[in-house]
Amino acid sequence: MGLSAVPSGPGGEASRTDPAPPRDVAGRGAEAARLADLVARSSRGHEDAFSELYDLTASRMYGLVLRILRSADHAAEVTQEVFVEVWRQSARYAPDKGSVLAWMSTIAHRRAVDRVRSVSSEVARDEQYAVTTVVREADHVWEDVEQKMDVERVRKGMASLTAIQREAIGLAYFGGYTQTQVASLLKLPLGTVKTRIRDGLIGLRDALGVEE
Amino acid sequence: MSEIHGAVGAYVMNALEGDELVEFETHLAECPTCQREVVEFRETATELSLLSRTDPPPMLKGSVMAAIAGVRVLPPEEAEGNHAATAPEAVPRQPLREVPVAPTDELAVRRQRRRMRVLSLAVAAVTVVALVLGGFVVSLSQRQPPLASVTAETELLRAPDLKAYTITLKDGGQATFVASKSLNRAMFSSGDLPALNQDQTYQLWTLAGPLTSPTRVTPDALVSAGGAAKQWFTGPIAQSDALAISIEKAGGASAPTNIQGATSF
Repeated sequence: MGLSAVPSGPGGEASRTDPAPPRDVAGRGAEAARLADLVARSSRGHEDAFSELYDLTASRMYGLVLRILRSADHAAEVTQEVFVEVWRQSARYAPDKGSVLAWMSTIAHRRAVDRVRSVSSEVARDEQYAVTTVVREADHVWEDVEQKMDVERVRKGMASLTAIQREAIGLAYFGGYTQTQVASLLKLPLGTVKTRIRDGLIGLRDALGVEE
Repeated sequence: MSEIHGAVGAYVMNALEGDELVEFETHLAECPTCQREVVEFRETATELSLLSRTDPPPMLKGSVMAAIAGVRVLPPEEAEGNHAATAPEAVPRQPLREVPVAPTDELAVRRQRRRMRVLSLAVAAVTVVALVLGGFVVSLSQRQPPLASVTAETELLRAPDLKAYTITLKDGGQATFVASKSLNRAMFSSGDLPALNQDQTYQLWTLAGPLTSPTRVTPDALVSAGGAAKQWFTGPIAQSDALAISIEKAGGASAPTNIQGATSF
């Protein structure tokens, strides 16, 4: 029985016996390298590369923007702005300053936050959000196991934080609130909120074991 | 740790405003520690967006592709602007869209922005009472259902002794084995299994003992070929030490012949 001929068992990438990271680190690295390559090709005007980049990242960008804006229409509009900006800036992406996903998410978060803090959009967190949320739940059923594992990893990371850290990070990141607003919502001093956000990020970083 | 240094988390969350934002960015330009933390925290924050993944409306892609066709890619930044100070601002900061002033009038923009933030704070305090429950932001008026209902799959993924390995199969494709001995359950999953001939099938196996010289090899479930696949193992996971997948004749085999990949756990 030729099991010794197994092509890529756990020995393939050194020690896979460590149960800590539920997701194969090499796989994530390969994914990141692929995104970086797509951005590089996009910067030389290759629309096909950009099309693939869109396919691989759209649900992350749109989902983040939607969570902050709570309006499907506004989210679609802002997501389009984000991707146009990514295309425009593609030659300025610097791999040594972070992953493609982090670069794109930073653009998306900032755009969404700017939009939500403008007066008009504050009114626009509309009912459509509820509808979209239902659709999203249906999507989750069909998600790949890999994606579910990633989600579970982040959930566990968030669960490892203190309640205040978790709330402060949630309100700032998904709520799009300023630190002053977070402090007001949580009825805590501004300095405390600031510290909790940073401590929470440190805790999350350590729990997730995010590679630089 | 200086006080301004402590604002790095809020900065990454885009939660700083006004003078403090300016002050922090000035500090950031000269603080390698903060620069490193900004990079790290951005990666961490990006992971959070896994919790909000949502497929966009299908028409958005066409719209985006049409939009970029008319947009020129900016040339790489000039070397002179390339010193460390510019690092944190690699991401362009946009003025508010609705602000009806020339974008060059920074002071006016900032003043306007501050006014809007004061207003939006008031609105926020009145209308949106947001809570974070179990890691999710919910609003009282639009409570979201939990991210995934508690299914056997979710239960497996939450198992404290969960082991998961992604491997590349011999004939191509990536496959993931997820297993928990305490739950006595394991699952195989792939998004891109290579297609097989009509008279072939993928078959799963559980093994006891070391991968190279197993003491037991037990045939397990068959996996329909091609594309995305997800299959529970039926065998005794608690008594197994490794999992494998092979290609066999349709109907399956009693011993593996063409092994595509395996992993001990």
